[in-house]
Amino acid sequence: MKVSFNELQGMGRKAFIGIGFEEGDAIDAAEMVAWMEAHGLGGAAALKKGLDYLLREDPNEPPTLVYQDADFSVLDAHNHSILGNASLALELGYARARARGLSITKIRHCHNRVLVIGYLSRLARRGMNVTAFWRNSHEPLIEQVVGFRAGHPVPEICIYSLEDIPDDTEKNDGITLIMANHVDLLPSLRSDYALTNLMRQTEEDLELQRDRALVEGLEVDDQLWKTMKSLADRLLVEATEASRGGAGAGTTDND
Amino acid sequence: MATQLDLQPQLKLRPAARVMNLVRLGSLHASRLSFARSLVRQMAREDWTVSTVRRELDSQGHGVVIYRLQTPHHTYHGVIFSQHLDPALRSDRVIAEAWDVTFALVEGPVGDSLLEQMASNVPLQEAGRQHPRLLVLSRANKSLRNFDHFVDALASGRQPDPAWLTRVGYLYRTTAVYGNGKFGIADYARLQKNPDFNRPFSAQMFAVYLLRHFSIQQVEHLACSRSPDTAVPLAAALQRYLGIGNSTGLGMAPFLINHPQLIQQWVYCRERALAFAREQRPTEGTRHGLMRLLRRAHQHFVETVTEDHEQTQRNLATVASIESVIHWLDQTPATPTLWDDLLDWADDHCSLEAQELINTLLIELYPDLIDAAEDDLGCEEILELQPEMRAATLRQMIESKFAWALDYEPGNPGHNYWFWYRSAEKEEPRLGVRSEEPGAEKELSLAIGPRIHNTYQLLDVFLDRSSRGSVVEFLMAHPGQKECVRRIQTMGATPYGEIQANLWHRDMKPMHLLRTKLSFFGASRFDPKSDRWVRVTLFQGAPLFSELFSDYGADKARLAALDDWSFPVEPEPDSL
Repeated sequence: MKVSFNELQGMGRKAFIGIGFEEGDAIDAAEMVAWMEAHGLGGAAALKKGLDYLLREDPNEPPTLVYQDADFSVLDAHNHSILGNASLALELGYARARARGLSITKIRHCHNRVLVIGYLSRLARRGMNVTAFWRNSHEPLIEQVVGFRAGHPVPEICIYSLEDIPDDTEKNDGITLIMANHVDLLPSLRSDYALTNLMRQTEEDLELQRDRALVEGLEVDDQLWKTMKSLADRLLVEATEASRGGAGAGTTDND
Repeated sequence: MATQLDLQPQLKLRPAARVMNLVRLGSLHASRLSFARSLVRQMAREDWTVSTVRRELDSQGHGVVIYRLQTPHHTYHGVIFSQHLDPALRSDRVIAEAWDVTFALVEGPVGDSLLEQMASNVPLQEAGRQHPRLLVLSRANKSLRNFDHFVDALASGRQPDPAWLTRVGYLYRTTAVYGNGKFGIADYARLQKNPDFNRPFSAQMFAVYLLRHFSIQQVEHLACSRSPDTAVPLAAALQRYLGIGNSTGLGMAPFLINHPQLIQQWVYCRERALAFAREQRPTEGTRHGLMRLLRRAHQHFVETVTEDHEQTQRNLATVASIESVIHWLDQTPATPTLWDDLLDWADDHCSLEAQELINTLLIELYPDLIDAAEDDLGCEEILELQPEMRAATLRQMIESKFAWALDYEPGNPGHNYWFWYRSAEKEEPRLGVRSEEPGAEKELSLAIGPRIHNTYQLLDVFLDRSSRGSVVEFLMAHPGQKECVRRIQTMGATPYGEIQANLWHRDMKPMHLLRTKLSFFGASRFDPKSDRWVRVTLFQGAPLFSELFSDYGADKARLAALDDWSFPVEPEPDSL
């Protein structure tokens, strides 16, 4: 079905609160999904893929700080979706970069990683250069790099597969973020390496996609929408005669 | 581009503690910066034209009417579906499922296919799936008494009694006017680059204004259908005096709390305008100009009728205050400090509504400099975290900018009396008594004051352990505080910040929230039906489409005359 950006964002917010997210996390998660969908990056599909896991997770278990020094942090997200309060891990990296010029943040053991792009857009708007890197699958080995230029709300994205898999590689369910105050960190593919360019999207591509989405609306899977609505309905209070008076309206308007 | 107001960095703004007090906000009036006024000025300035491209109404006034709006930039269509409504179903509440008219404003053309889709969905309102080219979706119910009186009078060849419009200033009242992506319609983001409707709520205001036009045409059509030989058109003075009603409940309250940056911006624009007006050197001309406006407002409030006892008392106090102000102004020469003296005097001698009325009218005196502020009424809405901020700085910010929130007493039942929630019945927002009604565990987080208080207490404990800790470290320890913290940081950096009230407090009046928003819309004739439900009138006194378009275009005197329609008064019988 077609929905508007505002509808997807609003329904997402209520559904995430219905799941048990704190309000701030619910707002961020909904914005990440809607932002991704509006930019043609499959936000709703990613949510659909991760929703069953999300419903089994404890939304109040934050990522744990495993290691930190002045400009390097490692956090364990406990196999939770990036939609939970993983945004605080990103904010930690942001704060470190503000203080030190550059920071590296690794979030280990998380899923729905692609949705992180929606939150990184916020950090970029606040004037931070950001690059995120993760591996999507092991065989073939696919790597995804997303780079935001400071002040730009949309990124450049590279996805490519490697023909030679290093012997010592292992399944990677983490994400690495590099943030820098003053230098661009945009992805640029090396041409002298054996890789297959699967997708490259520029800022312009994504902006055009967003403009189109605002005109045509967003296509969201019917079943996902129903599930989100039923999660959102958890917030509604059953009506009673007394509650009808709680709206304060009169009983007849035939005047 | 910088406006005149931007170039006045030294403007003496009223303090936030005074302006953002909920009772004072609930005493505001429509001003020349209100969205209805602003829209009419734009339509006149840019010669917007409206034509009827389809009118298929039966003898009962039921059917479809399509209007075309042509602006210098784009073409739009207003599509109105009018149907019979069983009186048993006529309700102004959001839980209603049928209405006398349903309508939509559409960007671009309306072909057969879109019209068919709209005919199947627009009358269903929330229950339909709406097309993404719809900018506004709305519905309205008749004011039955006025409607019947108007049709009877016009059909028999006479004009309706203007007093009917003074009691209830419209033939239709809207019960919801949806924009910004609701039920599949276009997102507001799509309008942000559109010079016709990029101001807040301007598309919604236009849809309401168009309904006013329809209501006149429909009532004349009905009179003519009933008595083609005797029917007369509605007199121009009455057409002008006819507005559109709006019936509003608690649904408006979440908007005010969920859009703090926008509300702050509206208040800031109005306050800058007031501060600028106060700094202008009064002249005999402006002194008399203000007295003229006061006399008209006086007449407006003398005529205003409401069954609500409290609002009646407020109106009476306003009338008495205006009489005193006129007398005071009549005795006081136009010295350089006249405006400041007047406002100081009003603080001591006038009711709150009258004080804000004087402010509203003072702004009227300087249109050339103040109207540019209408372009500043929108803003980007995003609450941003500053994770690198010291937690101690955040605590100081709460103490300096949100001291009002620290008045909250968690253990005091009176401070926790209400809770806000959405009902399973069409998600209607409602208010419950926490100690008596079920559902508090699902409450909406609208009470910002208690939340800030809670954050403050947690910060205290955190800072005892980590005095040099940062905000992000505080949040890693208390992730649930993220939303409140970024709200504090964002709003604390604005001139006016939050509405200063505990929305759980037993003495909190939801009506003040509703009136705050409605005043910025441009509503008048506040007619509360309870402490959380109000009817108002929009566009009463506003010029008609036929008056807006002129070959004279942007002639300044003509535009100023068209814009002079605030606080309308009942037309004299001999003007009909």
